[in-house]
Amino acid sequence: MIGGLFIYNHKGEVLISRVYRDDIGRNAVDAFRVNVIHARQQVRSPVTNIARTSFFHVKRSNIWLAAATKQNVNAAMVFEFLYKMCDVMTAYFGKISEENVKNNFVLIYELLDEILDFGYPQNSETGALKTFITQQGIKSQHHSKEEQSQITSQVTGQIGWRREGIKYRRNELFLDVLESVNLLMSPQGQVLSAHVSGRVVMKSYLSGMPECKFGMNDKIVIDKQGKGGGSEDAAKSGKQSIAIDDCTFHQCVRLSKFDSERSISFIPPDGEYELMRYRTTKDIILPFRVIPLVREVGRTKLEVKVVIKSNFKSSLLAQKIEVRVPTPLNTSGVQLICMKGKAKYKASENAIVWKIKRMAGMKESQISAEIELLPTNDKKKWARPPISMNFEVPFAPSGLKVRYLKVFEPKLNYSDHDVIKWVRYIGRSGIYETRC
Amino acid sequence: MPYLGGEETVRELRRALSNPNVQSDQLRYRNTILKVIRAMSQGVDMSGLFSEMVKACATVDVVQKKLVYVFLCSYAALNPELSLLVINTLRKDCQDPNPMVRSLALRNMTNLRLPSLVEYVEQPLAAGLRDRAACVRRVAVLGWAKLHNLQASSEIDAAVVNELYSLLRDPDPVVMVNCLRALEEILKDEGGVAINKPITHHLLNRLKECDIWGQCQVLRVLQRYRPQSEDELFDILSLLDASLVSPHPPIMAATLSLFLSLCSGQPAVSLAALERVRGPLLAACGSGSREMRFTALCHIQLLLRSIPGLMGAHYKRFFCGYAEPAYIKQRKMQVLVELVNDENVAMLLDELKGYCTDVNAETAQAAITAIGRIGRSYSDRCLEILTGLLGLKQDHITSAVVQTMRDLVWVCPQCSDTVCFALEGCEETLQDSQGRQALLWLLGVYGERVSSAPYTLEVFIDGVRSEASLGVKMELLTATMRLFLCRPAETQDMLGRLLHYCIEEETDMCVRDQALLYYRLLHCGIEETRKVLQGRRSDPSLGVLIGRPAEPVSQWARSFNTLEPLRQGSIETESVSRGSPEHTMFDPKPNADLSNTLDCSRIEKVHSGKEDFVWMEECVRCPTIPRCSPQSLQAAMQLVNIQTLAFTPPQTLPWRVYLYTHTCLDDAPHSTLILGELLYTGEEPQKAEVHKDDKALKGFLSILTTVLHTLSSERA
Repeated sequence: MIGGLFIYNHKGEVLISRVYRDDIGRNAVDAFRVNVIHARQQVRSPVTNIARTSFFHVKRSNIWLAAATKQNVNAAMVFEFLYKMCDVMTAYFGKISEENVKNNFVLIYELLDEILDFGYPQNSETGALKTFITQQGIKSQHHSKEEQSQITSQVTGQIGWRREGIKYRRNELFLDVLESVNLLMSPQGQVLSAHVSGRVVMKSYLSGMPECKFGMNDKIVIDKQGKGGGSEDAAKSGKQSIAIDDCTFHQCVRLSKFDSERSISFIPPDGEYELMRYRTTKDIILPFRVIPLVREVGRTKLEVKVVIKSNFKSSLLAQKIEVRVPTPLNTSGVQLICMKGKAKYKASENAIVWKIKRMAGMKESQISAEIELLPTNDKKKWARPPISMNFEVPFAPSGLKVRYLKVFEPKLNYSDHDVIKWVRYIGRSGIYETRC
Repeated sequence: MPYLGGEETVRELRRALSNPNVQSDQLRYRNTILKVIRAMSQGVDMSGLFSEMVKACATVDVVQKKLVYVFLCSYAALNPELSLLVINTLRKDCQDPNPMVRSLALRNMTNLRLPSLVEYVEQPLAAGLRDRAACVRRVAVLGWAKLHNLQASSEIDAAVVNELYSLLRDPDPVVMVNCLRALEEILKDEGGVAINKPITHHLLNRLKECDIWGQCQVLRVLQRYRPQSEDELFDILSLLDASLVSPHPPIMAATLSLFLSLCSGQPAVSLAALERVRGPLLAACGSGSREMRFTALCHIQLLLRSIPGLMGAHYKRFFCGYAEPAYIKQRKMQVLVELVNDENVAMLLDELKGYCTDVNAETAQAAITAIGRIGRSYSDRCLEILTGLLGLKQDHITSAVVQTMRDLVWVCPQCSDTVCFALEGCEETLQDSQGRQALLWLLGVYGERVSSAPYTLEVFIDGVRSEASLGVKMELLTATMRLFLCRPAETQDMLGRLLHYCIEEETDMCVRDQALLYYRLLHCGIEETRKVLQGRRSDPSLGVLIGRPAEPVSQWARSFNTLEPLRQGSIETESVSRGSPEHTMFDPKPNADLSNTLDCSRIEKVHSGKEDFVWMEECVRCPTIPRCSPQSLQAAMQLVNIQTLAFTPPQTLPWRVYLYTHTCLDDAPHSTLILGELLYTGEEPQKAEVHKDDKALKGFLSILTTVLHTLSSERA
């Protein structure tokens, strides 16, 4: 259980403090500030023990969120809770920044009151919370009878994430498959580690209480379904299936059905939400390959050549490509030759930044640079940080494909065909690094 | 905080709050209250406004109510009398048709934390338990826990406890979990909720309905359950299997913890469970959030204590990313060291070598230490890397390398040639005292093989006047003495100068005493000096303790999924820098197994007249001890400062060993002498006769058990 929750800005000023249990004293707020935020050294651990109180902290941009407890608690749970807290705050007021926290501090106090009681997490689903939180504060005793019964049914009922009686003129559904691909590659082009973490985000504007069914080309799903009916179908169509390492679903997905039949069926919340989150490590399509070549010519000169190769269908276009080639600290000048895009040496960031707006698949492009170095007494060897890359591609690097998304609403008179559905794939770079 | 103008603000706000014009305008009233709360959260003392705020509480505006309650809850303890006024409003709100208002009132009523208000709160709380809205019941249930916390001495009505038990069957999962939490707190003295078979099965069946936090709580409470039969045990385990591989790390960890406590009698099942969580744990190690990664890594370290080979094939998952924070990198390296095997050693060392030039000095040092640890089994490759690092001529790297080499030589004497060769010339780059101390130790012990040793020492001795570090001076004295023994001609002159300075001019008593001791020792003749100073150069038996044997799961099962694993590693990283190897203190790790089995009640006093004596018996299961040689046992014992007095010949039965040790705590007023008899008969009781000092006794037993386990598993 959590004894107290504190939010600080980067200077260590307390923005929010809420104590849930008596064993956390008032000086706990200061103890954390003095020992962690104002400590001159780097953070040594996300868990700090000060005077028999454990502080768990998470940083979001410049804001510190800290949970304090005197008990020997389950550490993973406290962190998970802090993440959830961040998610909820983001859902309410966007980015967690000092200004936003200050402007919404009443709301945060309200949230803290609802989410935790006596240090125990109670209710952390944004959708369900919205009924409790009086953000605009116009709701008061003048609740109509109808609204009240709604709250009651929502609070007691099974479906906490959706109101009854939602109506839309156009029933629309937007499905985004957002993936970030992470790579660490050795200079020789050997993949040291690669994984894709993806999210399926859905925006639903559907009337009534629709029942949805979602299908994708996951190996287990296909195998399981294959057993049930035409096992040849999947094989005949020759569609590739992918292996998902682990996945998490939004609470609306019926997990029992997923376990038994491997089908993802659910009643969606209204508006935008994250349907599932997954991770894959096998058979990842790496959209770009970076081939670095660094040669030290004497003590005062470096020659760098970087080739990038796009490795996807030539009909597709990658966007917002940025390659960052780090340079030594004692760089005095850089001469660049680049065929495509724009390249610049940014002295303040100690890097050559090469930007390409668009690049089609199966292409190759290169940049070469001559870096002049100042002779220094510093014998420190240059650590050679890896070359990192950013990009955006219009496909899912994990190979995930949405096979179908069906909507059933038995009570209202619209069918699956009347729903307008949009599917979009975006693959972004996570930490995409090649050592040089 | 004076710069916020505390008093002025309070006065201004009071004026605004009591202004009838403000009071009639809802929006202005609310904004004024908002200002009060804002000032309060910045740390200005607002308690003076209590009565005005109490008045503001009587409103129909829910937002205003909430704000006022935040204020009241933080200052109620300072104004118990005025808080009585609020109670009326709160009790009225408890009758409100809107469930939200009811739950709000109830929650804040219990949050006031005033013992004097308890009598007014009990009735609405009891009614709250039977409310038709789940959100009110949730609050009411926890309310009883708060009430109990407020008055821990007073008994909570048995009827309430019964009602809470019946609410475990509430349709709302949060109410159910809250009941568990409340009962755990209320019945703490009786050992928490009674977990019997029906309750267990009820909880297990409803586990899936709860959210993450609820599931963790349920799983934790269930740890106290003991299944009545093996069939039941396996039923439960198969029910829990899905949560064991849950993608939520907290649930996975809580389930594993429950598995381990349920299967404590069946090590094979526990091991299978550990195998099963490998996937989810690895996934948690690659999770997007660094804190979760850190937690997972710490827990993996625990698992590796029992199954060293668990992650062997996945070592690449523990390679560090460039931008990862230092604490994760250091943990990953600690894990990597455990994963070394013949296939991956080349790859691993290559990777670790890359970390040695990390921007963060601490990370670099951790990497070098890690290479040193691997060097205990693969010394040639590691020494090659370490020697190469010396070529970088960077002070923090050189310092770490020299320290690592010193530790390595102590364990693997066969490395000494390479080390001696590498030492030449590195004194120029050494800056910090730890590194110089290590260098001096090496020069002292292996002086005859390092040709430049006297010259290096001479530089140190010439600079001794400006030397600030006590440790370096002490080490310098010893090193010079040792070098004098093997190369007297070159060293005699400077030794004289050093001793002269230390005795005549040095202000620190420690250094002076040490110098005097050596001076007098030299008077006793060279043979005497040699006997004292030339002790062991290495201690290969330490290798036994280092190649960590697989511990039984029960050693750490208790601390799994708590804060403990997150703390342990940080101690390890701190002990990286320390003095010479022969002074290494054995740091008794908290032995979860022992500290619990050893209650003071088991220590029987036999000499009632002399209370200083305590006699006790403790059983340790180590079947293979008698077969190991007395020499190795003695060596291992000496390592942890336990002396052996006598042995019976190896093959006799009963086999006995007599031991003694005494505590040398600085803060204790008198030391404790522990006499022990190790007895092996077949059913092996072990006796110890001691002075009464529970802490020392526990420490002794935990060390002893560790040594015995280590030795026995090495034989096995």
